[in-house]
Amino acid sequence: MSTIVRGVRNAFRNTIRTGGVTVILALSIGLALVMLLSLKTVQARIQTVKQSIGNTISVSPAGARGFDGGGEPLTQTDLDAVKSLPHVSGVVASLNDRLTPITDTSLASAIDPGTLGNRFRSRGGDAAPAPAGNSSGGATRTFTIPIMVSGVGQVTAAAVNATSLKFTSGSAVDASGKANVADIGTELATKNNLKVGSTFTYGTTTVTVSGIFDAGNKFANAGVIMPIATVQTLSAQPGQISTATITADDITNVPAAVTAIKAKLGTKADVVSQQDTATNAIAPLENIKTVSLYSLIGALTAGAVITFLTMLMIVRERRREIGVLKAIGASNVKIVVQFVAEAVTLTSMGAVVGVIGGLLLSNPVLKLLVTTSTSTSTTGAGPGGGGRGFARIIGGFGGQSLQNLQAVIGYDILLYGLLAALIIAVVGSALPAWLIAKVRPAEVMRGE
Amino acid sequence: MLIVENLSKEFNSGAGPVQAVDSISFEVPEGKFAAIIGKSGSGKSTLLALLGALDKPTSGAIKVGDQDITKLGDQDLIKYRRNRIGFVFQGYNLVPNLTALENVMLPMEFAGVRGAERKARAASLLDQVGITVEEQSRKPSRLSGGQQQRVAIARALANRPQLILADEPTGNLDSTTGKLIVDLLRHLARTEKTTILAVTHDLEIARQTDLTFRLADGKLVGEERHARAQRPAVAA
Repeated sequence: MSTIVRGVRNAFRNTIRTGGVTVILALSIGLALVMLLSLKTVQARIQTVKQSIGNTISVSPAGARGFDGGGEPLTQTDLDAVKSLPHVSGVVASLNDRLTPITDTSLASAIDPGTLGNRFRSRGGDAAPAPAGNSSGGATRTFTIPIMVSGVGQVTAAAVNATSLKFTSGSAVDASGKANVADIGTELATKNNLKVGSTFTYGTTTVTVSGIFDAGNKFANAGVIMPIATVQTLSAQPGQISTATITADDITNVPAAVTAIKAKLGTKADVVSQQDTATNAIAPLENIKTVSLYSLIGALTAGAVITFLTMLMIVRERRREIGVLKAIGASNVKIVVQFVAEAVTLTSMGAVVGVIGGLLLSNPVLKLLVTTSTSTSTTGAGPGGGGRGFARIIGGFGGQSLQNLQAVIGYDILLYGLLAALIIAVVGSALPAWLIAKVRPAEVMRGE
Repeated sequence: MLIVENLSKEFNSGAGPVQAVDSISFEVPEGKFAAIIGKSGSGKSTLLALLGALDKPTSGAIKVGDQDITKLGDQDLIKYRRNRIGFVFQGYNLVPNLTALENVMLPMEFAGVRGAERKARAASLLDQVGITVEEQSRKPSRLSGGQQQRVAIARALANRPQLILADEPTGNLDSTTGKLIVDLLRHLARTEKTTILAVTHDLEIARQTDLTFRLADGKLVGEERHARAQRPAVAA
């Protein structure tokens, strides 16, 4: 019989104690497992929420959004200062312009005003006046929708507020250049019968079509993309920008980058990050994460303490037996291995029961944590708390995510359970093992 | 051959230093059965612990064969206890959750003897001391005191030691069983060529040995040599 087998058999010497210790360790390991599952589930969800929001920061002139609002424009100098800030990995500026058909450009708009355009026009919206003789006045008169021109530093889908951008013919303009070239959407190209190499006017300047793109939606496909420097020149807005998209080096650094940009640009700019509001949305998840983490540490510590006390009791109880083993030639290492094997057996039994219990209870406990956390955050928000619009959307997303949280159980969790048992056994046996080494062989003579 | 020269052991107690063993010298030839007698507190058990390398002396020498064990390091002392010494205790001190056979196999496991060999030798030793095959598979709690002591003697013989140290080997046994155990020890001393040193306060048992050393207050105060016919061992 080997030392390890003897250790395993020793674990069953006192069945009542073995049963009791197994149950207590099962509770500890089961709780640790439930908390580990909750932690992993919540961490995954937090990551998903953060990734869905992205690591971009939008910078606009203070008080202005596109062609709404007012205030003073931002300049390229402002953006150059932002580029050197910590956690800023990229800055893409844009300058938008609107071209009124006939008066500003030879292009005809690809979007009919329709009911919405007329309604926007009647409320002081952004529609252009109709050509002479085609106006009937008020909400019912017809007019032409202006053509949106996006001057960009980089040709991306985001430049036309789309999620995808593919060229059906030609190629993207050199956005860093100053040439009088443009990419036009498929709707605008069809409306004006334009192909690659065709020209149109921007004010008095002739612009050549470099490529025709499909951005997947009608509004974007009715627009024009040009190099920002060209738009700055042709629209008589030298050095100005209307918006900038700033990329942080890591999703976790977005808040720090926002703080730095705000500090640099002061009151000149409105700096908006979706992550600001997302932080509020994931606050309940963070609460669950914190509770799970501390409970996990607590459960593992409790397990180690239980094992330690049990092994301490066993070692004290068997001092004479340890002395006998030493007297008949056992080395300290052999005896320690035997006792550690006993501890590992006890914790393994606890782990098996704990893992089964943990797997069964993981989702109910997670739901309980979610319920507690949701009610706490709802109470904390209060009637005046929270934001509107996007914040509400994100908040809703976060809340929905909480309700749908399901613990994902994989083989890795079982391995974690067994690893926890092993760590508990080894840590819990460390001091008793030292005590074993200190037992003198002469102990066996005591009371003889 | 066991040679003890000027062996002393001093303890520190709350009342000051205590001389438990005081400059003791004696010799026990190979294959002899010797007894150490004395009153309680005379230093018998301390002397036995020193001879068994369970404790370290303050001064003096203990030579077993050609080796002075007082000069050995910790690892060598473990080997000494494993290979050259066998212990028999008053309370038997068998491991309670192991069978009689497994208890006897234990010292051989520590000595690195292979499984099949140690099982065969353990069975043979138990047979030699009168433990039946059926009794060999019993745990100590299902054996009588005499049977447990026989198992302990078999365990002491497992690694073919040069010296067997017995601490009150009959102390927990009735007189008849005690006598049988003493006969067994004496028989083993003769057949196995093993030196046996037993601590006892029973003068009747001491008279059955080849040599008797009398201790008082940690000092050797007397030595007797007995010459008698050897008697065969009888099963308990």
